[in-house]
Amino acid sequence: MNIVGENRLWSRIWQFYVPLALFAVFLLFPFYWMLVVSLKPNTDLFETDLNPFLLYSVTLDHYRYLFEETDFWTWTKNTMVVTVGATILSLACSILIGYALGRYRFRGGTFLGAAVFLAYLVPPTLLFIPLAEVISRFQLYNRYWALILTYPTFLIPFASWLLMGYFRTISRELEDAALVDGASRIQAMWQIVMPLALPGLLSAGIFCFTLGWNEFLYALVFMGSGEMKTIPVGTVSDLIRADVYFWGSLMAAGILGSVPVAVAYSFFVDHYVAGLTAGATKG
Amino acid sequence: MALVRTPVAAEALRTPRRRTTFIQRESTLAYLYMIPGWSILLLFMAYPFFLGIYLSMTDRMLGWPGANFIGLENYRILWNDSVFQQTVRNTAIYGIGTVPFKLLLGLALALLLNRPFRLSRAVRAGLLLPWIVPTALSSLAWLMLFNGVLSPISWVLKDLGVIDQNINFLGSAWNARISLCIANIWRGIPFFAITILAGLQAVPNELHEAAALDGASKVQRFFSVTLPVIRSIILIATLFSIIWTISDFQLVYVLTKGGPANTTHVFGTYAYQIGMGATDLGQAAAISLYMFPALALGAILLLRYVRRED
Amino acid sequence: MTDERISRLLQEATRLRYSRRQVLRRAVALGLSVPAVTAALDRSAIAAPGPRFGRAPAVLQGTKLTILAATYFVPAAQDFFVQQAQQWGQENNVEMTLDFVNWPDLQPKIGAAVQAKSGPDIVELWDTWPYLYYQSMVEVNDLANKLGEAQGGYFDWVVKTAAVDGEWYSIPTGNSTSAFAYRISYFQEAGAEEFPQTWEELFEVGKKLKAMGKPLGQALGHSPGDPPSFVYPYMWAYGAMEVAEDGKTVMFNQPEFVEGMKIFIQAWKDAFDETGLSWDDSVNNSAFLSDQISATLNGNSIYLAALKPEEEGGKPEIAEDMSHAGYPAGPAGRFNNLGSRSLGIMSYSGNVEGAKAFLEWWASEEQYQAWLEVYEGYIIPPTPKFIELPVYTEDPKLAPYAEVATYARNKGYAGPANQNAARVFAEYIIVDTFARAVQDGDAEAAIKWGADRLERIYGR
Repeated sequence: MNIVGENRLWSRIWQFYVPLALFAVFLLFPFYWMLVVSLKPNTDLFETDLNPFLLYSVTLDHYRYLFEETDFWTWTKNTMVVTVGATILSLACSILIGYALGRYRFRGGTFLGAAVFLAYLVPPTLLFIPLAEVISRFQLYNRYWALILTYPTFLIPFASWLLMGYFRTISRELEDAALVDGASRIQAMWQIVMPLALPGLLSAGIFCFTLGWNEFLYALVFMGSGEMKTIPVGTVSDLIRADVYFWGSLMAAGILGSVPVAVAYSFFVDHYVAGLTAGATKG
Repeated sequence: MALVRTPVAAEALRTPRRRTTFIQRESTLAYLYMIPGWSILLLFMAYPFFLGIYLSMTDRMLGWPGANFIGLENYRILWNDSVFQQTVRNTAIYGIGTVPFKLLLGLALALLLNRPFRLSRAVRAGLLLPWIVPTALSSLAWLMLFNGVLSPISWVLKDLGVIDQNINFLGSAWNARISLCIANIWRGIPFFAITILAGLQAVPNELHEAAALDGASKVQRFFSVTLPVIRSIILIATLFSIIWTISDFQLVYVLTKGGPANTTHVFGTYAYQIGMGATDLGQAAAISLYMFPALALGAILLLRYVRRED
Repeated sequence: MTDERISRLLQEATRLRYSRRQVLRRAVALGLSVPAVTAALDRSAIAAPGPRFGRAPAVLQGTKLTILAATYFVPAAQDFFVQQAQQWGQENNVEMTLDFVNWPDLQPKIGAAVQAKSGPDIVELWDTWPYLYYQSMVEVNDLANKLGEAQGGYFDWVVKTAAVDGEWYSIPTGNSTSAFAYRISYFQEAGAEEFPQTWEELFEVGKKLKAMGKPLGQALGHSPGDPPSFVYPYMWAYGAMEVAEDGKTVMFNQPEFVEGMKIFIQAWKDAFDETGLSWDDSVNNSAFLSDQISATLNGNSIYLAALKPEEEGGKPEIAEDMSHAGYPAGPAGRFNNLGSRSLGIMSYSGNVEGAKAFLEWWASEEQYQAWLEVYEGYIIPPTPKFIELPVYTEDPKLAPYAEVATYARNKGYAGPANQNAARVFAEYIIVDTFARAVQDGDAEAAIKWGADRLERIYGR
């Protein structure tokens, strides 16, 4: 191996692998802790003679408890229905708003865009009180629609602004060229700009999804009984009993509630997007 | 901000626009596109939003009939309330201690992840986890890590002889603030990283190659080629991050509930304490709305800037 | 396996002629699934349902009733409550829905419900909450007074915390209370054969305990359970109170209390685990059970957890070596803070009659007592009637819990536990006075700060 190659390897290690490893340690450390707690027998959990970060024996009891003694599957199903519904709805609305804000010039654009955002400035910790009145007036209490329709109120402002940003990164000339070629504006949008904006769409989508997936307060307040709970609400209300926490099962729920999403994300982003955008830019 | 000037596109710019039908006009389409999103917002936000503003000017108690209009009295009371003043300071510390770090670290991570490497899929998915784990549960993990007596971190460091007393993570003002900032940064980095990463995909490789041929260094290329493309994205993500941080609730609520002695109260937790705990809706609304004018102005200016840019 | 155990229980029931309720209690004690046992009972037709008290009028048939409550520390008791509600629902053909949430999440749910004027029919309220929400609740004087009289009259701390100026808007259900859980051997080693009788004596012993590496543990953060159970009684023991009987004159900044606070500031350094400033309600439990502290104020949940089998995380050796003691005294006396929880009916409810009928049935002696028994003594009843039950007396180590109810004061004492007291509690003003004092080491300034905050609230 020659010296240049070796230097390059070293610089790649220092400039790439080492920083990446540091990020991984910081970002995954609490997650590792969750994993350890979820697999640790209760007898070992607060045992001061043992190293808390290691597993001396492994148990699946906490996971078993989650599946057998709680309604975890039902919570997962509920969370899924609500989150997917709210994500699709918000994304559809936000694509349109973001596109209009990012690529069209029209009177009142800045005002309408800012007004979308203003709704964001009253935090949900207060907003849920009057919102509860609206929910009950529309008779949505304890139905999926209560969350599918209210989550967009905090997803749309964010997603439409984010998409506006992405749409603006795509050069206007491509679209103009299509218009000259005789495409309608709507065709130009769907056939030229959308494919290029796909990474942005997916990142907006994943954010809608995770914000919905994590939402606690509306899910707590607008969904009444046990069989309508979402994962965050269900785990907190079933696995914290007065001053006693079911640490193992709580952490198990955190892991089961996030790993599938992360895997789905990586699948989407790398397979789907890379393929499509590559195709689009080549063509 | 012309990026890829193909001959066709350049020609298009010079060509006068075709006459467009009403439905093809930019402004018509723009208004049409606004309709679905705005109907949801109007249905579900307009009433709560204006009621919130009205409540902040009343002495309304939750569950009690009637309320008196008292103008800006709630705002005046809060102005002189030492706990509220402390809350404002805490919130500022929380914002300054987190957003810049989240932005810079998130940007760095995005640039790293944008390079091709083995296992990149798994790594990207893994590093996204802090954002995906339900905050209600990840903050419980932090609660364990920051436990005053049984923190595994203290435990291991004691065992190694690094410290001889438990670290008081959340038990004194600055320790608690720093601990909260760390947990918040942890949760926020993936947000910036993924947002910026998606923006980076729009940076054309040809430009980088051209700049490299011209002898531009990596740093120069970042500032001259990459940054201009992702600038709006970064600004938007930062604005939202600021909003989310200063209106944060769950992380602070789980870890300290504003304690010890109110040294970690932020707007969200203080408003919740007054609104839900003491059922004083009027004052709680005023707490939440105190930041409104500044944020609204910031939002309008940013939007103008982003939309005008080219 | 489970089926086999259920059928064995049913055989036992036939042999010993158990009532339905006895079977279910056995089932809970054996750790069997209550719904499974109920189903088996229904199939086998032995142990017919007991006498039906509080049978609802026919007009209720086919109606619905939703109950919102906090999760129980003792899961078997929660299952039992569900079981009771379902049984009543079946007998009266009322569709029952029960919704349990973590207790800090109760207030937002109630808040949204009263604002929207829809939601659960019956809600569980903590002490001082009836004053916050009574404008949205149904007055139940008849029922509450009838139940109280039948059971020997409510304790004073119940009347002060669950009734609104003497009017009942909810049925009191008692509450858990705190006493000192302590390690017998460590206290002996530090020279205390008995648990100290005064706070100062306790702090003296605490010094030695902390030197031994087993300090006293006390939460002083923003947490609704454990911090108040220390700061209110300590304040009273040193002659201060939030407010005088008129509910207006703040009585917080007392010279005796300033002295008491100085003693506590010193003791915090010498005798307590100083990370307590950040503890929530769960930390002292786990710290005690993992042998990090020698004493702490808590409900009996630590002891009940220690008694569990070892493979479920129980600590038999700690259970053996621990006991409980009542509150130490200060110059002004010995006090405890206690308020009753209660179940109230929301005024927007479409089924007020059904809700009343259920509450009357459930709070009746037979049902309520059975519930208390499943609760293993965690809940102190609101009337003297049940205080002699074996669950309170059987285990001498648990006796202090029933005893501390005899010197309990309400939040807001000497005034009522009203909106103002609720606000002081929600804003953690008393707790923060202590937290400030130990953080800054300045007793006068901290108490003055607290007095100013109280003035803002009570002086309005």
